[in-house]
Amino acid sequence: MNFRAPVAVTGLGCLCAAGNTLGECTETLFTGRRSPSPPGRFSTTHPVSYPVFEVPDAALSESAGEEAGLLRTSRLALAAAREAVADAGWSSADLGALRVGVCVGTTVGSAMNNEEFYRQYREGGRPEMTPIERFLLSNPAAAISRAYTLNGPCQTVVNACASGTDAIGLAASWIRAGLCDLAIAGGADELCRVTYNGFISLMIADTEPVRPFDSTRRGLNLGEGAAMLILESEALRRQKKGRARAFVLGYGSACDAYHLTAPSPEGTGLRRAIEEALETSGVAAAEIAFVNAHGTGTPDNDRVESRVLCDALPQVPFFSTKGYTGHTLGAAGAIESALTVACLERREIPASVGFSLPDPDLPGRPTEIAVAIRGRVALSESLAFGGNNAVIIFGSGDNS
Amino acid sequence: MTALAIEGIGVVGGFGCGLDALRQALDSGFSPIGALKTGPGEEEGSRPAFLAESSQLEAFLPKRAFRRIDHFARLALLGSHLALQDAGRLEENRQRLGVVIATGYGAARTTFSFLDSVLDDGDTCASPTNFSNSVHNAAAAHVSILLGATGPSLTVSQFEMSVFSALLTARQWLLEKRVDAVLFGGVDECGPVLGYCHERFFGEECKEMTPLLFDRQSAVVGEGAAFFLLTRGGEGAGRYGFLSDLGFGRLSAGGPKMPGNALLLIGADGHARCGAGYGALVPRGAEVAAYAPLYGSLPVGSAFDLAVAGLTLREGRVFAQPGPAPENVLWRAASPGALGDRPVCGLKIDGEGVFGSFTVQHGPS
Repeated sequence: MNFRAPVAVTGLGCLCAAGNTLGECTETLFTGRRSPSPPGRFSTTHPVSYPVFEVPDAALSESAGEEAGLLRTSRLALAAAREAVADAGWSSADLGALRVGVCVGTTVGSAMNNEEFYRQYREGGRPEMTPIERFLLSNPAAAISRAYTLNGPCQTVVNACASGTDAIGLAASWIRAGLCDLAIAGGADELCRVTYNGFISLMIADTEPVRPFDSTRRGLNLGEGAAMLILESEALRRQKKGRARAFVLGYGSACDAYHLTAPSPEGTGLRRAIEEALETSGVAAAEIAFVNAHGTGTPDNDRVESRVLCDALPQVPFFSTKGYTGHTLGAAGAIESALTVACLERREIPASVGFSLPDPDLPGRPTEIAVAIRGRVALSESLAFGGNNAVIIFGSGDNS
Repeated sequence: MTALAIEGIGVVGGFGCGLDALRQALDSGFSPIGALKTGPGEEEGSRPAFLAESSQLEAFLPKRAFRRIDHFARLALLGSHLALQDAGRLEENRQRLGVVIATGYGAARTTFSFLDSVLDDGDTCASPTNFSNSVHNAAAAHVSILLGATGPSLTVSQFEMSVFSALLTARQWLLEKRVDAVLFGGVDECGPVLGYCHERFFGEECKEMTPLLFDRQSAVVGEGAAFFLLTRGGEGAGRYGFLSDLGFGRLSAGGPKMPGNALLLIGADGHARCGAGYGALVPRGAEVAAYAPLYGSLPVGSAFDLAVAGLTLREGRVFAQPGPAPENVLWRAASPGALGDRPVCGLKIDGEGVFGSFTVQHGPS
């Protein structure tokens, strides 16, 4: 068993406010357009509105049958999985004959937090159990596994905002270990009132469109979406004679063990996660062509991330895509992984939308215009509640 | 697979706190049942439940260290400390210690407390403390912070399959040498909303669990934490045996493969919906136990089964099946006796046609 072998990414799917497919999302990144707006699917009593990045309901129009009754997070996950499976050239019947694992990161998708059910319960109204039944059917990894009748490891990672990155790194480990021939790995999360109120209560949400790494940044904008990657063993890929759009080269994760919601000021966990990802991928820091940063737009996150990136990966261009997608929580690492692969293929990285005024407290500044890249290796990173840090490194695929 | 050594076990549940309390429950076949509120008010109804309490955490941490930490995370912290203490490794450097936690529902009580803050006082008064502690990985974060564990940290939520799925990651981390040891645990909590859901789904309350009577609904909800210190082994390792195999998948694709001579701990926990599935899977002639009557029905019940498996191997004796077992000619309920050199297997099915299994044996191979 080779724990460091590259793992092929043969298919990608992504939907978020930037687009309903990975192609649309990538195009949005390079047009500089973004469309944060007040929440459209729920209302609140906050005196000001905090912009969010919502996925239009039309993007989920293919949901039918049992799928239509699932929580939105699982429907987003299934939509991304469908695009990824088709992109990899597999049919549903093909997958049923293989050992296929599913590893999906989420936050809201695993939370029993139906507000209306609970309100009725509190009032002694003996609410109907439909919301609970729906929750019990909607574990994102299980929903995908069930939809394709898959036989293999199945894991829903709930590591807060690092979940999507962790899920891809862990699924690559399954492939290397021979636990499955193919894995559907990624993340999914929906917008809801609970997280909207929660992030506002923590005073890390901005009332303006998010400005990652900018000196005027005031916090994040929430988003929603999903992205899935198809990872395949080399044996399977040889048999199918399939192409790789990219390779997962390495992955690292470490805990700050510092604070529940704030990153370690020195970025200790992030540094270790980057070191581990570089070490397991067998590439030097100088080989990294670009970094798709977590870049939430919160003062603490961007400060720590900027300092660590300038120390650990000096001169490497970095950007945040959250200005286009919002912070999609458990999906963020997966969406950013998919966009990282798309940028490797395109050999170009976008401007970090929202950034215009450099912060003198930050040693680095993100891209301000789209930039062509030369290297064949890129890094995507996620920082999360709980002090979780996850880093994944992708290499260019067969056609890049 | 390469076997993992089980070096320490820490448990807290309806039976009490620590391995001695679990052993006592196994020997007596009895665990006290408490009452779980099912309504929002004091005057509302209640249901039987196996409830865990975490006061012994004070033996490990100053009270101020966990005064803002919720019940769910306290259970995880207590289980973690007990496992490290049991392994004799409370004082070790934890830079290369990974933390993996499995949970079915996470800190559900804190999630509802957060909703209380919104429903009581409005959106602008949502509680930031409850919000941050309601995130599923908050317990793992508290464990890492208070133990100074700076290795990777992971929380997995896969309902009844959470334990098997999370064990898979713990094993991978050790095999890949990402860490030197993993603090692995399963934790779930009860609360009034869960009590209400149980009442609505399963109706009349039951005061005695009879999990081997497969067609009878007798589940009593439980809560608690079961933690393990897992390593790659080495000289003198494996005080509680070696986790030598993990199985998972769809029953329709072949189902679990377990050694024919194993003592089989099935995850039957009084749910008639799954009972028939177990009945069809138990190998002919097997010795079978379901110890859920000692800790109740909870998504991470398999973590308690793993603790019993470790204790069984360490003590070399089989604990009797608690409560009634049917007369049948196909298999027999566990009765007190020597384990011999047999392995102990755990098996869980989820009602959706998915299974998880583990094998714990005396040696690494």
